Amino acid sequence: MKGKHRINKEILLMAAALTITVMFIFILSSYYGRIMKDVEVAADELSQTYQYQYEMIVDNRNLTFWQAVYENASEKAREKGAVLELKGLETGEDYDKADYMDMSIAAQVDGIILEYNGEEGMQEKIDEAVEAGIPVVTIVNDATQSLRQSFVGINDYQLGQVYGAQVAELLDEDTESVLILLNWEQDLGQNQLYAQINSALEKKVGGKRRIKIHSRNFMSQSQFDTEEELRAIFQAPEGPPQILVCMDEMTTECAYQTMIDFNMVDQVKIIGYYTSKTIMDAVEKDLIPVTMSMDVEQIGTYSIEALTEFWEVGRTNSYYPVDLDVITKENWEEQEEQYEE
Amino acid sequence: MKNKNRILRWKDRSLAVKVLCQVAMVAVILFSTNMLTYFQVNRTMQTLDSVYASNVDITELAESLEDVQTSMYSYLTVKTSDTLENYFRCEERYKRLSERLNDQITENPVKLLERNIRRMSETYLGETAETVQAKRGRNVEKYKDYYEECLKMYRYLNSYIADLNGQQFKNNSASYQTLRQAILFLEAVSSIMLILIMGVCTLMLYYMVKNVSAPLRGLAATAKLVGQANFNVKMPPTDAEDEVGVLTRAFNTMVSSLEEYVKLTKENMEKEQKMVERELLMETHLKEAQLRYLQSQINPHFLFNSLNAGAQLAMMEDAEKTSIFVERMAEFFRYNVKKGNEDATLGEEVEAVENYIYILNVRFAGDIHYTADVDESVLDYKTPSLILQPIVENAVNHGIRNIEREGTIHLEIRDAGEYVRISVKDNGKGISRERIAQIQKGEIHSRETPGDSTGIGMNNVISRLELYYKQKDLLTIESEGEDKGTEVVIRIPKHTGEEV
Repeated sequence: MKGKHRINKEILLMAAALTITVMFIFILSSYYGRIMKDVEVAADELSQTYQYQYEMIVDNRNLTFWQAVYENASEKAREKGAVLELKGLETGEDYDKADYMDMSIAAQVDGIILEYNGEEGMQEKIDEAVEAGIPVVTIVNDATQSLRQSFVGINDYQLGQVYGAQVAELLDEDTESVLILLNWEQDLGQNQLYAQINSALEKKVGGKRRIKIHSRNFMSQSQFDTEEELRAIFQAPEGPPQILVCMDEMTTECAYQTMIDFNMVDQVKIIGYYTSKTIMDAVEKDLIPVTMSMDVEQIGTYSIEALTEFWEVGRTNSYYPVDLDVITKENWEEQEEQYEE
Repeated sequence: MKNKNRILRWKDRSLAVKVLCQVAMVAVILFSTNMLTYFQVNRTMQTLDSVYASNVDITELAESLEDVQTSMYSYLTVKTSDTLENYFRCEERYKRLSERLNDQITENPVKLLERNIRRMSETYLGETAETVQAKRGRNVEKYKDYYEECLKMYRYLNSYIADLNGQQFKNNSASYQTLRQAILFLEAVSSIMLILIMGVCTLMLYYMVKNVSAPLRGLAATAKLVGQANFNVKMPPTDAEDEVGVLTRAFNTMVSSLEEYVKLTKENMEKEQKMVERELLMETHLKEAQLRYLQSQINPHFLFNSLNAGAQLAMMEDAEKTSIFVERMAEFFRYNVKKGNEDATLGEEVEAVENYIYILNVRFAGDIHYTADVDESVLDYKTPSLILQPIVENAVNHGIRNIEREGTIHLEIRDAGEYVRISVKDNGKGISRERIAQIQKGEIHSRETPGDSTGIGMNNVISRLELYYKQKDLLTIESEGEDKGTEVVIRIPKHTGEEV
């Protein structure tokens, strides 16, 4: 039996060597198969094709507000068989929205969602796109004079009403001036907003004292200038305004930071915009009494709906109203949940 | 291996095949491992190449775009047919390149960018065509406007292409990282594998060599034992068909054969011994046959009756001596004939000797002086017949005949304990030692029967004594030299196997 034992050992070793080799080949092959697949997938991922290509052109695509709007719209677009691209201020590029419009027209996209802020020449670009057969949906502000297919947002009257109510709410004996920080061209809907806030204040004060309402447009300034301007406002010889109305996310965050820096939390009340993390934290701590936010989901959904409808039916609603949420410390939690989602 | 199929049994393979198999296996394993490694490295390299090929394509596209713009510009400035031709050529090339780009709408940003570039390129080429057309038509205002438009498009395209290049590069870098890691992994796994395989193969070869050398060593040890005449040791039986197995079996067979051969040799020697004995017997029988022959020539009864008649006649004529002589002669011959092949007693033998001496004395006128000193108590012991008479006859014929002095023969029979000692002594010529030795070895045969003899020689007596008592050296001859006489001594054992 010794012989048998001997044979077994030899055969066993040979089998072991073979097994190791086979295992090696198997492991290596499978590992490489996976690696190669990964590489190929990386090259070919998201290869599903869609029918339409839409572009969303905004001022600053890095703002969380626009990111949220884009996320929602993009999801909706996919449902509707379209791909949505977000275009906007990008670090290292000096293109403005007009350039992006030109590019979109040249690229013959199937639809443009545009954040319209009343820039000069933008209406003509809208018209150019529409003439080239590209439907345009404006969001936030309406380019009423253009050929745009649809507008998704809140109209100036409503906006003014809501803001007016909030300003009136925050009004107290010390309030002498209210500053509205606009982010669009003066002549646009400013009159409405201004008028609404004014009338709300009049109603509250009842003409007993005069509260100065003025506005400043940060539209043409770059990001760094906004901060500088705000510092100037807070450092003004006559003192900062008691109520500061911010109309966009970035201005809100800048104003909030400046207020903290100058330790003027008690003296300045900020009406913020949007629900970014910084702003929501501030609301929670009651450092910002109230912040407004347009429903980002509705903006996304409606704008895509408008474009889809245009392609499917040939025409679309010219106005999609969007809800404006008012977030205070009281209803902060439910908003936070939404935000978390 | 449990496989019953003999063809497949590993241990049946020759050493050369075994070594070849294992070394070949090691080689094949190492080779395939290496080949696999090379193959994977190659594959990785190819993937890397293809990954970067996309960047190369984009660069080519960008160059081509620049060519279009440059050629259009030179046409707008110079307006020669050469520049126009050049423009068309560049435009054609760029068109071809841009048409290779993706035209599908997907979520993949790279693909989407490709589509944008493709669409934009169409628009751009449309604009350049318009520009060139306007220039050809010498529409100065228009072509300047168009050119501005083209420039803008060109800028956009360039930035898109740069973007695409960047994105591709980013993707490729990720792929590159993955592939790099894959190569590192490959390096590690290959090293481990090679070490493992090397270890296993070394073990395998070690076992193989050990398995070949161990039985050989055992074989050497066993061979040594066999060399010391130990035939009981054997190698453990094996049915392996390899060289070692064959050698082991051959060795075992050899040991068995050796053992058998030695046994056979022993047997042969014994057989030879027996054959010598038989030969002696044969000789005896021949003698007997010779005697019978002689006997048959004379009708013994006729002879005895005639001799008896002669004796009676002599009696009647009162020739008493003649009567006794004839009677004794008749007795002597009767004894010879009767006892030719029978046992006799010592007494009968002594009587035969006395008859013989009487006859000789009659014949030779009492020349022989015979004396006997016989112990009466041993006369009943059995002996082979015709033992004494031939010895006495020899003593007469070769001892005392032809001597000058008076010849004497003395017979002495004594009880010597274990055996009976019989001595026949004469005072004759004596025998040389050499001759005694020759006689005792049985080298002298009585070929020619002397006419004067009863025909039974010493040789015969010695042989028959040995055969009868199954002992040697029962008869000794002693002589002190020339003319000093001879003494023949016979020792007869009292106990023989055949004694009654």
